[in-house]
Amino acid sequence: MSPSELSLLPKLFWVVVSVVGAIAYGLVIGGIIRKVMARIQGRIGPPVYQPYLDLFKVIFQRTATWHGYMFYLGPVFRAAGAIGLFLLIPVVFGDPRFDNFSFNGDLLMVMYFMFFGCLGMALGAAEGGHPHSVVAITRGLSQMTAYELPFSLAVVAIAAQTGSFSVHQIVAAQQGGVGHWFLFTNPLAAVAAFLAFLGMNMYSPFDIVLAPQEIPIGPPTEYNSAFMSAMMSGRAIFGVAKCVLYMDLFLGGATTILAAIVKVFFIYFWSIFVGAVFPRFRTEQAVRFFLGWPTAAGVAAVLAVMLF
Amino acid sequence: MKEILKEIEERFGPIWERVQRPKLAQVGIEPAKAVPLLTWLKEHRGYVTLVHLSAVDWIEQGEFQLTWLLGNPETEERLMICSRIDRENPAAETVSGLWPQAVTYEQEINEMFGVSFPGSPRQGVPFILEGWKDIPPMRRDFDTVAFVEKHIPGREGRKHIDTRTYIGEKFGEKGYLHD
Amino acid sequence: MDDKIVKPEPPLGGPPQGSRPHAPVGDGCFLGEEMKPQAPSYKEALARIKNWFRANSLWVMAYGTGCGAIELRPLATARFDMERLGIAMRPTPRQSNVLIVSGYLAVKSLKRVIRSYEQMPSPKWIVALGSCTINGGMYWDSYNTINRLDLYLPVDVYINGCMPRPEALVAGFQELMRRIKKGEADGWRHYMENLDWYKENQKKIITDWDLPEYNW
Repeated sequence: MSPSELSLLPKLFWVVVSVVGAIAYGLVIGGIIRKVMARIQGRIGPPVYQPYLDLFKVIFQRTATWHGYMFYLGPVFRAAGAIGLFLLIPVVFGDPRFDNFSFNGDLLMVMYFMFFGCLGMALGAAEGGHPHSVVAITRGLSQMTAYELPFSLAVVAIAAQTGSFSVHQIVAAQQGGVGHWFLFTNPLAAVAAFLAFLGMNMYSPFDIVLAPQEIPIGPPTEYNSAFMSAMMSGRAIFGVAKCVLYMDLFLGGATTILAAIVKVFFIYFWSIFVGAVFPRFRTEQAVRFFLGWPTAAGVAAVLAVMLF
Repeated sequence: MKEILKEIEERFGPIWERVQRPKLAQVGIEPAKAVPLLTWLKEHRGYVTLVHLSAVDWIEQGEFQLTWLLGNPETEERLMICSRIDRENPAAETVSGLWPQAVTYEQEINEMFGVSFPGSPRQGVPFILEGWKDIPPMRRDFDTVAFVEKHIPGREGRKHIDTRTYIGEKFGEKGYLHD
Repeated sequence: MDDKIVKPEPPLGGPPQGSRPHAPVGDGCFLGEEMKPQAPSYKEALARIKNWFRANSLWVMAYGTGCGAIELRPLATARFDMERLGIAMRPTPRQSNVLIVSGYLAVKSLKRVIRSYEQMPSPKWIVALGSCTINGGMYWDSYNTINRLDLYLPVDVYINGCMPRPEALVAGFQELMRRIKKGEADGWRHYMENLDWYKENQKKIITDWDLPEYNW
């Protein structure tokens, strides 16, 4: 439904700009996360630009391994899912340059893209043949199915309240002040969605999928060099895209780039600060958690929208 | 501890015994009776934990000494069952049916001392020494320095200082001898 | 078993000629007759940039072979915090650049270390920690530990001591970073070029050789 005021070429240019900007911002957020976590643990921490160093370093590495085509395609699927997700969500509301490709019913497409990358990653990592990858994929997919439920219920509640499956119209329905945000007009859906966000982001209480400091590092166990860089940038843009989606759904979108950056930052750090104080859940505990109060809140949100 | 030692003596015949601490005693028994004694202690007297199984090479007497260290978690008493086996063709009965963790101890003793435990799984499977061709290295007739000089290349220029001569030069003739 | 060891030029003493990716850079001062200070070529500049990125993002393979691994814990935690230097622990050899051989190395672990080292993508470096890796240390007459690591794997930086303190490790890492930036730390290149010699030594000490010729 977005008025496509730009012709194709300028639109393409701004798409590239916004994707590159999202990757850059996602990497900076990654650096800030490492710095914040280091300060919480009483350390000095790496410089904020450390993710850039890591990214370029892995690009400059050599590889000579061969695990089959699907192994190569895994990070590509993940990056493609992340970029596809990002391109469907309007970043700056009302600005034709950063409106991306929003259309009627795109919320369904967004939800599909959110899990497309994980599935591609699972296929690719399984091709690598490392047992730790398979263990992590099993954990990740079961956790994904669990947090998908409250998130979908929250999205259904928002869509029913707006009467539309278009992200653009959902943002339009929240304009006119902070009180119109779905965060306040539909708090039950917000609770369900923001609890699901903790699992979606895979930081501390639910980071057993990645298990960053243990023997099974998760699906990326066998990935090196350029694959690793594709996954790092894919993860950066995926994190930003998820936060932009939440901003559009609950925080009334953004009318300027600055507002978008600030809101994305706060949504991202919601999961970081929760992760800083809570220890890790095991997979079955995580599944039980997501099927508990978040799902109950989601069901209540749908019922409330239907009844009132 | 005195009661259990007395009971062991009544049931299993003459033993060599020594109470080291109020809750730690040592029992020496002939090898044929060692495993029946261990079984009885585990099944009837509450010594359910196998803390340790070790071997000592008594080369002068031509014997290996095996020591099973048992623990009673209720009374917190420890009992060391010692048994000496012949050094030629050493073999002992396995306790892996009583304690599954004994399999690893027996594998290690088999590798390091050459004591065989017939019936225990993983006998002869390399534990640390993969591809070992010499005599078992924890036997006292195994010359480590000669082995290292023959097989493991070192860095030239390393000076080896014998501790006794060094201390003797530094602190006088008998500097190392005060007890 | 043949105890004569063919002595090559060790990687620390200076690799064979023509093995370096580019001339050593960084001093900016040439003492040759007709050499004038000049701007680095395009390839040299690119190599410098790459090396700068590599030096500032060292990923250490989280594998402790001996007692020296205990010194890595204070290094990673709040007191010495190696993450501020960009050093992070990676649990898989596919993503690590630096292998710390921490202390004595049993022959059994040497097999695993070789396997991990060869699986790491180039460029990669080895930091040998403790005197056991240099000349055997206090375990020099042990029946099952090697005495010289550089016979089997190329070592870029030695940190001696028993045990070296975490400060010494930080200094060793800084030395490694300096060498990487100058393009001197090319033990991996030495390993590839003298693979036959290294493999010969490895097969001498590992009596039941069941590894492939190179672990990709």
